Amino acid sequence: MPACTYACGTADHTVSRRAFLGSTAALGLAGFANPASAKDLAKQQKRVIVVFLEGGLSQLESWDPKPNTDTGGPFKAIQTSVPGTRYCELLPLSAKNAHRLGIVRSLNSQTDDHGVGHTVMLTGRKPEAGITYPHLGAVSARMLGSQEAALPGHIRILPKGGSGFNGADAAFLGPKFSSVGLGDGKPPADLFRPANLPAADDEVREAFRKKLDERFAKSRKSAATDAYTESFVQAERVVKKAEVFDLDKEPSKIADKYGRHDFGRHMLLARRLLEAGVTYVKVSHSNYDTHHENFDFHIEQLAEFDRPFAALIEDLADRGMLESTLVVVMSEMGRTPRINDRYGRDHWGKCWSVALAGAGVRGGAVVGKTNATGTAVTDREVWSGHLFHTYMKAVGVDSTKNFYPNERPVPIADPKAAAIDEILV
Amino acid sequence: MVSAFRPLAAVLLLTSPALSRAADPTHARIDSHVTKGFGEHKTHAGPASDDEFLRRAYLDLVGTVPTAQQVNEFLADSSKDKRAKLIDALLASPGYARRMAWFFDVTLMERGKDAKVPRAAWEAYLNATFAANKPYDEFARELLSNDGSDPKTRPAAKFFLDRDLEPHLVTKDIGRVFLGRNLQCAQCHDHPTIDDYKQAEYYGIQAFLNRTFLFPNASAPTAVIAEKAEGDVSFMSVFDKAKKLNSTAPKIANAKAIEEPKAEKGKEYKVPPAKDVKPVPAYSRFAQLANAVTSPENKHFARNAVNRVWAMLMGRGLVHPVDTDHGNNPASHPELLEELTREFVAHKYDLKWLVREIALSDAYQRSSVVPAGLDDVPADRYLVAVLKPLTAEQLAYAAMQATGHTDAERAALGAKGTEQQLDARLAARIGPFRSMFGRGADQTADDFSATLDQTLFVKFGGPVRGLLPPRAGNLADRLGKLTNPDAVADELFASVYARRPTAQERQDVADALKGAKDRQTAINELIWALVASAEFRFNH
Repeated sequence: MPACTYACGTADHTVSRRAFLGSTAALGLAGFANPASAKDLAKQQKRVIVVFLEGGLSQLESWDPKPNTDTGGPFKAIQTSVPGTRYCELLPLSAKNAHRLGIVRSLNSQTDDHGVGHTVMLTGRKPEAGITYPHLGAVSARMLGSQEAALPGHIRILPKGGSGFNGADAAFLGPKFSSVGLGDGKPPADLFRPANLPAADDEVREAFRKKLDERFAKSRKSAATDAYTESFVQAERVVKKAEVFDLDKEPSKIADKYGRHDFGRHMLLARRLLEAGVTYVKVSHSNYDTHHENFDFHIEQLAEFDRPFAALIEDLADRGMLESTLVVVMSEMGRTPRINDRYGRDHWGKCWSVALAGAGVRGGAVVGKTNATGTAVTDREVWSGHLFHTYMKAVGVDSTKNFYPNERPVPIADPKAAAIDEILV
Repeated sequence: MVSAFRPLAAVLLLTSPALSRAADPTHARIDSHVTKGFGEHKTHAGPASDDEFLRRAYLDLVGTVPTAQQVNEFLADSSKDKRAKLIDALLASPGYARRMAWFFDVTLMERGKDAKVPRAAWEAYLNATFAANKPYDEFARELLSNDGSDPKTRPAAKFFLDRDLEPHLVTKDIGRVFLGRNLQCAQCHDHPTIDDYKQAEYYGIQAFLNRTFLFPNASAPTAVIAEKAEGDVSFMSVFDKAKKLNSTAPKIANAKAIEEPKAEKGKEYKVPPAKDVKPVPAYSRFAQLANAVTSPENKHFARNAVNRVWAMLMGRGLVHPVDTDHGNNPASHPELLEELTREFVAHKYDLKWLVREIALSDAYQRSSVVPAGLDDVPADRYLVAVLKPLTAEQLAYAAMQATGHTDAERAALGAKGTEQQLDARLAARIGPFRSMFGRGADQTADDFSATLDQTLFVKFGGPVRGLLPPRAGNLADRLGKLTNPDAVADELFASVYARRPTAQERQDVADALKGAKDRQTAINELIWALVASAEFRFNH
C-alpha cells in the first residue's frame, strides 16, 4: 500500500499541517529542506507551558490526598487511569489523564512566603543578594527558541490587568528573553494596525523606511543597526500572526471543551500560542490562598481548573504536540496539613506536590512520598533546584552548562541539585 | 601634490614632541593619546561632516536634535571656530543641565523605583546641580552623606533611600557607581578571577553602613537613615575550609582604614535609642563615608567619573564595561585615562570642563562613516565614531523636536511662554518612552537590543503616532504648505535628520508625493519613515 499522501485529508495530516506551520518559522529554511513528517518537525521544537496556581494549591485537595485522617479534610481520593494512584475527587478529569501525568509528592521548597516562593519555584534557586536569576520562561526562550521565531518566546497570560512587558524576569539573559505579559489574554499593546493607518499606506511607509535603512547601512552597518532594522521584520511577522490571539478562530467544540470562562479561554490561548511556535507560556489561575474556607474555595477553584487542564492535555495529545511540550502545574507553595479554626489551610513549603506531563515525562510516574498525615516527606525529598534540572532535562537542555553574564560562569540550574530521573523517560 | 601633503603634515603635527607637552589644551592631549593608540591601524575615519557633528553635539550635550533653522544656520556659517562656538553655546543653555540630569539619574538609580524620593523632586535636584555646574566631588558628598531628615535636601538621599538601604545592594552599588568596581563576587569570597577584587574591600565599604538602618522602618515612604553606636562587620570566605571569621574597619579600596574613637561607656549616644525615637550616636561611621569615597587618596573616585563621562560621549568607556575597572581588564588607553583623571581633579571636578574638552577633541568629532578598507573596526581604538543608541529621554525629546511637536508647543505657549514652561510640557510626554525604552542602565551599541513591544510602539503606538498629523506649527503642517517637492525634502530632512537630503533622496520624496492619493497623509507617513529609521534611532 502506497504511503499516504498529504492530500489524503486524514485527521493526522490536519494536525501535521498545523504543526508544520507552527514550527517552520522556528526552524527556518532547515524546516523546508528536510521534509520530515510533521510530527517529527513538531518534535524538534520543544516547548514549555507552566500552569501557575497562584496563592498556593493545597496538595491534599489535589495530587496527594490523605482521606480519613486528621489533616485530610472532607474529600475522597478517587481512582485514576493509573492503577494504585489516587488523586483528590476534585480532579476527576485530570484523574482520567493520570497515565500522562507525573507527580512529585516530596517537594520541600523551604519557604512559606508568596514572593520568595514564586521566585524560588520559577528560578530553581534560593534568593541570593547580588544576583538575580532568570525565570524558567527566559531560560526556555533562550535555550529552545529560534532567532527566526515569529512570536516572542516568553509569554505570560495573567488573570487580569493590562498587557505589557516584564524587564526583570530574564535577568542577565537580557530583555530579548523577558516575558510579554498578556493581561486577561489580551494581545500585546500596539499589535494591531490603527484604523487610521490603512494597510496600503503602511506598506508604502515601510518601503520608504527600508530604503532609508538600507542606505544608512551602506556607510554605518553594525550589529546594532542590524538588530534595530531586523526588529521591524520581526514585528511584521508577529503582526501577520495576530490572529493567533483571536479565539474566535477556534472551532466552538474545542472552545467548549476548554470551558467558556476566563481560565478556559486563557488555557486555549496558551495552546494556540504554543502551536504557533511560542517556546514558553505561563498561565496563571488565581487564587488558592485559602486561609479561610479552604475546602469551599478548592471546590470552586479546582472545578474551574480541572476541565481546561484536562482539555489541554488531551488537545496537545490529539495534535501530536504533547511529546514535544513539557507541561508543569505548580504554585509558589503548598498548604498546611493542619486545618486552622477558620477551616483554612495556611502557607506551607515543607512537603507538597507538583504535576508534570508531556515532553520527557514518564506518564503515570509518582515520585516521593509523604507520611500518613502529609506533615513530612518520607521518601525522595527534593526542592525546586531539582525540579529546574528536571524541566531542562525533559526538553533536552544540559542544565549543568553555564551562562556567562559579564564573563562570569553561572550554571543554568543550581549545581547543588540534579534532575529527578525517575520521573523522566 | 598639495592635497597629498596636507594629511602628512597633520600626522607630523600630532606626533611632534613640541605639541605633546602637558601644557597643551586637554582636548589636544586626548588626541595625542588616541592617535598613539591607533598603533598598527593605518586607516581611520575622517572628521565628521558639519551636519554629522551638529546632530551628535545636540544629542550628547542637550539631549535632543536641532531645529531645521538651527541646522540651516550652522551649515551656512563659514566661520572656522563654529564648532567650538556651538559647543559653548550648548553647554551654556538650559538643555545641558537637563541632559546631564537624565544621564546621572540613570547612572545613579539605574531606573529603579521611585518610592521614598519622588521623581519630580529628584529631577529638580539634579537639574539644579548641573545648572549650577556643582563640582562632582561636592555632588557625590551630598549623595553619600544625606540621611533624608531635612525635607529641603532629602532628594539627595535617594541613592540610599530608594535602595531601601539594603546593605549588600548599597555596598555593591557604591563600588559600581562611584568607584567603577563591581565587587559583587567579593561578597562571599575574594574574586576568583580578578586579582584585585578582595572580600575585605567589599566589607570595608559595608563597614561604613553596617550600623545604619531605616527609621522608623524600611517600608515607610518617609523613612530616614538612622544609626546605632555599635556593631562591626564580620565575614568569612565560602572557600575557606577553616571558616576563619574576619573583620575590617571602614575603608575604601587602597585608602587607610578609618580609625574610630573609643566610645566612653554610657556616652555612646547623643540621643540614646528608645521606642519611636531616632537614635543619634556620639560617633557616626556613616558620616565618614562621603569624605572617604571622595578623598583624593581614593584614586578610583575621579577615575570612574571621567570614564563614565567619556563613555557617555564616546559610546564606550576607556574601561569597558564601566563598572569593571581592575588589573585584569586594563583601560584601552591607560595613560589617557590617568591624565584626564589628574586634570579633572586639578579642575576641581568640573564636569562641564570635562565634557567640553572631550567634545572639542578630534576623536569626538570623527565621522561614524566606516572608511573603505576598514572591514573589521576594532571596538576600542576610536578609529570610527561609535554609534550610540538614543536613550529613552533622548528618543522622546528628539522625536518631539523632529516632528515639530516642540515647535507647536512653543507656538501654543505664545510670546510670554518661558523655556521652563515648554520643558514642563515636553517632560510630561517622556513617560511612555521611559517605560518602553528605559530598562536598566542605558544601552550601548555593544548590548543594544530592540524588543518587539518597542518596535510595535514605534510602528503603531499612540505616543509616536500622535506626533505625526498636522498641528499649527509642527512639521506635517509646515510641509503640507510647501508645494515644491524639493522644498518638502529639504525641510523634512533638516528637521528629522539634521541634514540636507541627497539628490536621490529628493527624488524619492518627489516620487512618494506624486504617487500619493492623499498628499497630507503621505507627508505624515514620510515623517514616520524617517523617525522610525536607524539613522534616527542612533546618535551617529
